[in-house]
Amino acid sequence: MKSIPKLIRRFLAILMLSIILLFFLNIAVLIALNLQRTPGASPWTTAAETGAALQKEDGGSGYFLPEDAALSLARENAWGILIDNHTRQVVWHTDNMPDEIPLEYSLADIASLTRGYLMDYPAFPGESEDGLVVLGYPKDRYWKHLYPCWDYDFIANLPKYALNVLLVNGGLIFLIYFAANFKLLRSVKPIAEGIQKLPTKEPVFVKEKGLLSELAANINQTSRILESQNYQLRKKDGARANWIAGVSHDIRTPLSMVMGYAGQLEDNPRLTEDERRKVTVILRQSTRMRNLINDLNLASKLEYEMQPIHKAQENAVAIARQAAVDFINMDVDGKHPIEWNTEPEFAVCPVCADKDLLKRAVSNLIQNSISHNAGGCSIYVSVTETGREDTPPPTDSPADTERMGSPHNCVIRVEDDGSGMSPEELQRLNDTPHYMMCDGSTKEQRHGLGLLIVRQVAASHGGSMAIRQSIYGGLCVDILLPVYYG
Amino acid sequence: MIPNYLKNKRILLVDDEPELRDMVTSILSEEGFLNLRAAGSVRDAVCAAREFHPELAVLDVMLPDGDGFSLMEQLKNISDYPILFLTARGEDEDKFMGFGLGADDYLVKPFLPKELVFRIAAILRRTYKDENPLVQLKHCEIDFERAEVLRRNQSGAGQCERFPLTAKEYAILLALCRNAGRIVTIDALCEAAWGDNPYGYENSLMAHIRRIREKIEAYPSKPESLITVKGLGYKLIVQTI
Repeated sequence: MKSIPKLIRRFLAILMLSIILLFFLNIAVLIALNLQRTPGASPWTTAAETGAALQKEDGGSGYFLPEDAALSLARENAWGILIDNHTRQVVWHTDNMPDEIPLEYSLADIASLTRGYLMDYPAFPGESEDGLVVLGYPKDRYWKHLYPCWDYDFIANLPKYALNVLLVNGGLIFLIYFAANFKLLRSVKPIAEGIQKLPTKEPVFVKEKGLLSELAANINQTSRILESQNYQLRKKDGARANWIAGVSHDIRTPLSMVMGYAGQLEDNPRLTEDERRKVTVILRQSTRMRNLINDLNLASKLEYEMQPIHKAQENAVAIARQAAVDFINMDVDGKHPIEWNTEPEFAVCPVCADKDLLKRAVSNLIQNSISHNAGGCSIYVSVTETGREDTPPPTDSPADTERMGSPHNCVIRVEDDGSGMSPEELQRLNDTPHYMMCDGSTKEQRHGLGLLIVRQVAASHGGSMAIRQSIYGGLCVDILLPVYYG
Repeated sequence: MIPNYLKNKRILLVDDEPELRDMVTSILSEEGFLNLRAAGSVRDAVCAAREFHPELAVLDVMLPDGDGFSLMEQLKNISDYPILFLTARGEDEDKFMGFGLGADDYLVKPFLPKELVFRIAAILRRTYKDENPLVQLKHCEIDFERAEVLRRNQSGAGQCERFPLTAKEYAILLALCRNAGRIVTIDALCEAAWGDNPYGYENSLMAHIRRIREKIEAYPSKPESLITVKGLGYKLIVQTI
């Protein structure tokens, strides 16, 4: 909703700017018009000039106006008189003086004509050597203001008044704008909110009322479509996960029988060596099938986010240790010794994790090493924390540091001295998606589910998984989890 | 591995699949369990429970005329004994439901025969430990009922010396004994002795182990019964009777 106030602000700024611009434009136009309407000088100037130009006739008592001054009067269609200072009688006048103009003036008459009109002719006095020159213009030529007078305070405070008026005007304009647009803004707001909520996948409902009801209806429809699509998608994912869960459930009971009897036969002393070998294969392969079912089930649930994850503060060292010990307790033939490579002083590495899932991930890594090295290998399990002062980060190359991410990571590392992988295979494992997450051909991506689950578990805990060559010669897999301090 | 007094316990198996029932019966009888009874439905199971008086029941969750969870309640109403669920339903919610209702263990199919036997033996040992409270070690016996270590006199005159166990030593030894022959992690032992948030007790644990060794070993510096597995945990070697 940040864009709406911004919009209002921008609109108002444009409005104000255009008003100011308009104001100055108008003044400019007025000035231009004025200049055009009055090509000659102002009548006051003309009167003063005429007064100055009027001369006494040589020797006589008459007066005469030089030709250029007379011409400028004639051009304006104006007439002129000269009132003598002492007699207050007209001692000189132009030829075109109207007849009704009196030839004698009292002081009051002069004051009145100075301020306004002389017999309805707009009159403009000008000083002359011996008297007062008065110019009369045609009646429709000028309009005169009779009482031009203002308070001194008013003129002195004019700038202040002007500013206040401007401010009040601005406020009024804003109010008018707001009053006019309030309804529109009010109807835009829920629509803007609705549009903003659409990408969050929440259901959106905007009231279909007011000016923009059509838009609101469109948004509601879009939301409904999105919702139903999401629902369909979830349903499909759920159905897929449930289908996998159902199949694995149905396989469990028959497989129990295979495993049960095979396990029993394995201990039967009457079997020949050859028969016992076959039973062992049956048992091993059915165990593999069981693990596959469990993995498939878990992987699909993690993938479709149907696996409930119960996170709590756990000790990664304890979890890894338990996973290692479970394998040691189970390893009957001793072909896969597990070495615990964690510093004895490093007893606690707090992480926020689902204990069972994390243990499952570590077990998967150990199981992975065992399955890929049927001939036997040593497995090394360690837990370290990157970024601690007393332990140098367990990195072999600069690229690793990058992958480690934040300096405080819990690193659970499982590596072996078995056959390992070629760099190309490693590359492929790191780059190609698992067939469960891939919609393309599934022929080329047949790596096990074990590592996929480890990756999913790490991801669901905000961590990651890294695979590389081990310094022991085999494979090395790290689970990186952010360290969690309460 | 399984003491005889446990092999005589009456075990009730309930599963609707006859072949699976037969298989479990054969696994258990091969392991030496003598008193077994099988049932294929809730009705049969309740009947069997009334006349057979089982001391442990292995139940399937899905039965033709009901589910294992409600069957467990019915069985517990008749008499209280441990219940182990053996089921194809491996979801966490099912497990939590089973445990929440008071199940003692939950094993998801498919399973290895040894897994089932170990779990049954563990439950029986836990439940009926009072019947054979003496655990036989190489150089002594542990009497969990009285929290004492009994040692034959060095002079061999047939007399026993008694060393009382402290509460922590008792808890640690009990955890080790329940997993006899298997490694128990340092963390699990700390949890057994100090409860839910057992961080930072590793050194105390070592001190307690040293004291336990002084009581149970002939040569505490060269332990033969309580073995250290470096970095991981400890293992208690129990002599089978």
